[in-house]
Amino acid sequence: MLNLLLATVETTAHTAEAAGPIEGLKQTFVHFGVEPKYLVMQVISFLILFGVLYKFGIKPTIATMEERNKKIADGLKHAEETQARLAAAQQESAALIKAAQLEANKAIEEARKAAKEFGDKQQADAIARAADLLAKAQQSIELEHKKMLDQARGEIARLVVKTTEQVLAKKLSDADRAAYNEAATKELSVL
Amino acid sequence: MAADKQTKLLAKQLFKLSVVNGVVSPEQVAGVLGWVEKTSPRRPVALLKAYHHRIAIELAKSRAEVEHAGPVSDATLKQIEAAMTKRYARPVTATAKANPKLLAGLRVRVGSDVYESSVAGQLAKLSV
Repeated sequence: MLNLLLATVETTAHTAEAAGPIEGLKQTFVHFGVEPKYLVMQVISFLILFGVLYKFGIKPTIATMEERNKKIADGLKHAEETQARLAAAQQESAALIKAAQLEANKAIEEARKAAKEFGDKQQADAIARAADLLAKAQQSIELEHKKMLDQARGEIARLVVKTTEQVLAKKLSDADRAAYNEAATKELSVL
Repeated sequence: MAADKQTKLLAKQLFKLSVVNGVVSPEQVAGVLGWVEKTSPRRPVALLKAYHHRIAIELAKSRAEVEHAGPVSDATLKQIEAAMTKRYARPVTATAKANPKLLAGLRVRVGSDVYESSVAGQLAKLSV
């Protein structure tokens, strides 16, 4: 087959070289059975087929692809915007976190300060109360001591007086009493 | 029965009528009692009690009760009478009453006033 095809081409080439290039091309087409009217009809059929395919196949496909490309582009754009917003949100959240951290640190510091002041005040109050209690206890002890001394002194005086009364009741004679009565009379008379 | 205000006022007026020259007059007292008996005023018992209370107080002012421990002579009583008469500007009579608790000395009571010069009193001052 191949040998036959080569022989035909070689024969056609020798013929074309002899009659010019256009005539050679015609002879080749004729030799392979290609008729011009059939070729034109096939070209028209191809164009019609191409038009139909273009209208109902290629054009919708291109539109769909363009729409898809547009959607992809929109998605990419939306993704970029989203990424930008995300970055902004991250920055804002970082700023908010930083501000909140500063505020929290400030609150903690104030709380520590307040706790320290409260503790100092409580300690001072406790010291004052302790001192007050101590002073009151000392006063109470002194008062109790004085009261005890007064009671002891009163009791001793009472015992001394009672003893003296008993002694005087036994020892005083009528003469002594009479003399005392005279002196008492003089004392009462000059009041 | 407690005396009301009018009864007390009437007893006070009757008491004033019973005192002559700062001394309770028995005649005046007899006259007041006769008047009460005769006129029989409102609430006579309460009136007589109030009148009696005032007369008793006034008589006590004219009487000096002398408590003593040991012997007391009449001269001593007279001396006390004279001193109290001079002090209260009215006749005061002294009556003696023994009180051994005084140990020695005197305690003179005229009405609600008390004058004391006794060993017991001196010792009591020491024990306070």
